[in-house]
Amino acid sequence: MAFSMFLRTPACASQLLSQQVMKLGTQASLKPVQTQRTLNAVNTLKNTLLKSETTPTLNAVRSFRTSAIRMAAAKSDDHSKLWVIERITSAILIPLVPLALMVPNKVFDSLLAVIVVAHSFWGLEAIAVDYVRASLFGPVIPKIAIGLVYLISIATLGGLFYIITHDIGIANSIRQFWSIKSGQKA
Amino acid sequence: MPLLRMTTGAFGQLRTFATSSALGKRVKTFAVYRWNPDEPDKKPYTQNFEVDLDDCAPMVLDALLKIKNEMDPTLTFRRSCREGVCGSCAMNIDGVNTLACISHIDQNLSKPTKIYPLPHMYVVKDLVPDLTNFYRQYQSIEPWLQRDNEAVKGKETQLLQDVEDRVKLDGLYECVLCACCSTSCPSYWWNGDKYLGPAVLMQAYRWIIDSRDDAAAKRLSKLKDTYSVYRCHTIMNCTRTCPKGLNPGKAIAQIKTLLSGMVKKEAPIMDPSGLQKQAAQN
Repeated sequence: MAFSMFLRTPACASQLLSQQVMKLGTQASLKPVQTQRTLNAVNTLKNTLLKSETTPTLNAVRSFRTSAIRMAAAKSDDHSKLWVIERITSAILIPLVPLALMVPNKVFDSLLAVIVVAHSFWGLEAIAVDYVRASLFGPVIPKIAIGLVYLISIATLGGLFYIITHDIGIANSIRQFWSIKSGQKA
Repeated sequence: MPLLRMTTGAFGQLRTFATSSALGKRVKTFAVYRWNPDEPDKKPYTQNFEVDLDDCAPMVLDALLKIKNEMDPTLTFRRSCREGVCGSCAMNIDGVNTLACISHIDQNLSKPTKIYPLPHMYVVKDLVPDLTNFYRQYQSIEPWLQRDNEAVKGKETQLLQDVEDRVKLDGLYECVLCACCSTSCPSYWWNGDKYLGPAVLMQAYRWIIDSRDDAAAKRLSKLKDTYSVYRCHTIMNCTRTCPKGLNPGKAIAQIKTLLSGMVKKEAPIMDPSGLQKQAAQN
């Protein structure tokens, strides 16, 4: 029984050992006294083998390939502060949007422009990181995507500030929607 | 009494009527994903199996076992405990990641039940996904109790924990690591190589808040990069799909608050090493 159990353990995997086991196995069938001795030998062999750090794989079992391990980035970049800033930005938008619309002035407009662009920048960046991955698009396109996110954000911020400084401002521009009359021609 | 006997008789008749062959067998079709690594040129396909529900136990796993035993012994899937405590038989049943052993067979015979392996995982064979990366990620959070002063071998004493501190682990320790939640998470599909996923993060949280564990700061500092935790976009598929009714989404949110520094891990109510100190005094 012990012998059959031993045969089942992964320890009998290495070819050297299997040869040894074959030898022992054929001898064992001859004499009961010798069986006892071989069993002892097997046990000592088993003990030494099981102590080895890596478990040898059983040759009888067909090996199959598993996915390569790519662990989480070992980079020590700290995202926790940025996460707090992102949350605060989102929270500020809730009172700021109605406030800026109710009281149109350049201070609120500038604040709105910066915070809206920051908020949308992080959103777009997440989209680029999630959907345009190096594993799908190769090493170059994801970098272009991130570059585009920066470009769009800078252009938006510039455009909004142009409206604030050279035109009637963001809040007033939005308020103009309500002054559109039906049938009015541009 | 005769009335009662009459009603039981009626119910008995009803039952025989419902299961009689006069109405035809209640045959349910199971469309099962098949892929054999020994035939790499053959594309994955779904194979239909027809199971008589009157001759089959109620769970999806029972149907799969019946198919394997009686129709196709090559059908490959993992299973062990058949009662939802081991997490082996996690698979996608009718579009939902769940454990086959605790989900009832849909009694609607007009539609086939579709059974697929866990989504977006490499497939080893048929319904067996490759969980190597998942397990390695679990290993990376060091899921064991870590003390500043490890007890000397042979002189270990029991660590103390207040009932209230113990309650904090409820809803976390029950996880069986079936990977249903992680494989339902789009963020894990997209960045599974770097994002740890809900199952692993919930276990990370379980060890961070354990009152007996001293390594909370170290554990948190390992999670603060852009990918490990912060790829969670609170989609909440994890909580929705969990076959054990746990809430990994909440655990991740709490990791984020702990990482922000706005919330601190509470000090243990009972000194965990109380017995050790008492023994030293005596």
